[in-house]
Amino acid sequence: MFDLALLVQGLPLLLAGLWNTVWLSACGLALGFLIGIGVCSLKLSERGALRRLGGAYISVFRGIPLLIQLLFIYYLLPRLGLDVPAWVAAIAGLALCSGAYLAEILRGGLLTLPVGQVEAARLLGLSGRTTLTRIKLPQALRATLPALLNEVILLIKASSLISAVGLAELTRTAQNLAASSFLQLQFYLAAAVLYCVVNISLALLAGRLERRFAKGRA
Amino acid sequence: MLEARGMSKRFGEHTVLQDINLSIQRSEVVCLIGPSGSGKSTLLRSLAFLENYDDGEVFVEGELLGYDRASDGRRVRSRPSRLSDVRRNMGMVFQQFNLWPHLSVLENVMEALLRVRGMKKDAARRLALATLEKVGLAEKADAWPNRLSGGQQQRVAIARSLAMSPAIMLFDEPTSALDPELVGEVLQVMRQLAEEGMTMVVVTHEMGFAARVADRVLFLDQGHIVEQGPPMTLFKNPQSPRLAQFLGNYLERNSLFEAAPALNRVDD
Amino acid sequence: MDFTVLTDHASEIGSGFLVTLWTWGGGVLAGVIAGLVIAVIQLSAGPWVRGVLRCYIEVIRATPFLVQLFLLYYGGPSLGLSLSPMTAGLVGLGIYGSVYFAEIFRTGFTSIPRGQQEAAAMLGMTAWQIIWRVQIPQMLVLILPALVNFTTILGKETPVLSIITVPELTFVLTGVGAETFAYVETLLALCVGYFLLAELCSRLGQWLERRASRYLTQGVQQRRALKPRESAA
Ligand SMILES: Nc1ncnc2c1ncn2[C@@H]1O[C@H](COP(=O)(O)OP(=O)(O)OP(=O)(O)O)[C@@H](O)[C@H]1O
Ligand SMILES: [Mg+2]
Repeated sequence: MFDLALLVQGLPLLLAGLWNTVWLSACGLALGFLIGIGVCSLKLSERGALRRLGGAYISVFRGIPLLIQLLFIYYLLPRLGLDVPAWVAAIAGLALCSGAYLAEILRGGLLTLPVGQVEAARLLGLSGRTTLTRIKLPQALRATLPALLNEVILLIKASSLISAVGLAELTRTAQNLAASSFLQLQFYLAAAVLYCVVNISLALLAGRLERRFAKGRA
Repeated sequence: MLEARGMSKRFGEHTVLQDINLSIQRSEVVCLIGPSGSGKSTLLRSLAFLENYDDGEVFVEGELLGYDRASDGRRVRSRPSRLSDVRRNMGMVFQQFNLWPHLSVLENVMEALLRVRGMKKDAARRLALATLEKVGLAEKADAWPNRLSGGQQQRVAIARSLAMSPAIMLFDEPTSALDPELVGEVLQVMRQLAEEGMTMVVVTHEMGFAARVADRVLFLDQGHIVEQGPPMTLFKNPQSPRLAQFLGNYLERNSLFEAAPALNRVDD
Repeated sequence: MDFTVLTDHASEIGSGFLVTLWTWGGGVLAGVIAGLVIAVIQLSAGPWVRGVLRCYIEVIRATPFLVQLFLLYYGGPSLGLSLSPMTAGLVGLGIYGSVYFAEIFRTGFTSIPRGQQEAAAMLGMTAWQIIWRVQIPQMLVLILPALVNFTTILGKETPVLSIITVPELTFVLTGVGAETFAYVETLLALCVGYFLLAELCSRLGQWLERRASRYLTQGVQQRRALKPRESAA
């Protein structure tokens, strides 16, 4: 059932898989963040049509399961004549989906800002964009940091679905090792442990930040 | 019928009650007064074992409350069934009413009759309605608790407790959460209970009620019973400077506002 | 695009849809029951048992659902636990759901004022009676939005079951797509299907919320008062 030697042999591969998981998630997050800012400003815009567009983006990308979105991108892009490598499709899928969640998190953060601050910035003659990037966003980020970290955990877990389109991230690597060695339990457990290490550290960090902010506000 | 011997209670390092000795006779009405934080609620809750006291003993009709003697002489926490058995004759009314908001007034009163007493639905309903009638709320039987005024809610809470026909009732500041104009209706119900011979222990800031209804008043300060006796003796002739000061503050506050004299709160 | 592939394979798609509903419903039911048990134990057990449960919750929350499924389905047999894909899927959804439902229930329990339990205890109600008659009915109303929300999330995890060959909607439709090369049509159908399911679930939830929270806002008397007018009309 367990074979320590094979585990040690497979470890470098698993760690490489973990590395892929992390950087694919990180890229997905970074891109998703940009999408999130865009969608969030659509959602907060004064034009009804733009608001509806933002709302539609959010409900579509949150309503459709991520696996389906990934399959869609993976099959559809070649059909459109875009022969992109699998990792690009994977990052695009993660980014599009997390963008919808991040937009909602950011919106929550922005809505809790006191109106007076924005008015003060406007009175000082700052433009709408400067107000957004210099006054609103930094504060929204601070307030929503725990929620954002939580989103990172969700994204890392979601990235396991990339294995379905054949990329050798952590889950896929474990799958390959398990299939070739017939030590299914061992390698899936190893993958689970690695996910735990990363995600529980992130969760602890989020908890600590949350307490720090709670104290700062009191 | 309710007795505490050398009872004390600590919260961590902080001793809240120390060496409380207290004996309450059948049909006696005892009021507990004292400054905020003196341990009144803790004492009352310990008498019901909602707080588990540390040293000493509490007896309800001769039975030790909350603990059992193990064979080696040490005492162990009673099992839940034993605990409810010992306090089957006790009722408690809380400052915050603690009605169950998802049940109607009638259902609040019927619940324990059905589930604890095992009464039939019809009998439980009749008894519950009769008890509600007694506190003057029979016509509110089908209302949700949250739609009632505070005074009405507290009367429902009294009825809920009363329906289980307890021999002794504990009240923890039953009128402190009420708007001033609603205090009277609750005190009226309590006074009626006292006149019918109910044994009562009442934590209260209503000196008028204490003066008119109590057989005995206990003054608690910093976890000690500092002074006790018939209300008029205690109020007219406080022995300890603490009580004198406490009553002084109280009278000063009332004379400042020159509202209806506090001692006349409960009208005849 | 040619959507006749969908009508051509209507019966397979229909059965896939039923499997999706069945695994989803079963997973939610299993998760709710297990979560309730966990929450009740967490509130009443000693520090050791609580610690073990805390670890279980943290581990399940930190690992991807897919890895849990693989462990159960492929790793299970080496522990003498051979499950069919369908059973593994149901159990997996139940386990994954249990920890989130447990957290929801726990917050629900702690948001009911302690005094209500004390009042019940003073009337002689047992711990079980207090949980069932006082806490759970109120808690359900408070946590209904969270329950509905997570039920929707669990529904969006069901396509993952296709990876361990559970014949649910995604499995059937991607199969049809591979067979007929109608990838776009089948994937579009999947998108629409799941989107509608999620919408339906949240609509149903909103309706339930309105009904369940009525006791907080509207008196029995009012409802009674409406009756005579109805009969007069
Ligand atoms: N659960 C608890 N944990 C720690 N300390 C407590 C607890 N309950 C009460 N205390 C402390 O015990 C002391 C007595 O509290 P208690 O509530 O009995 O006072 P009280 O006389 O009822 O006051 P009040 O008139 O304000 O109701 C206070 O100093 C309080 O801070
Ligand atoms: Mg008190």
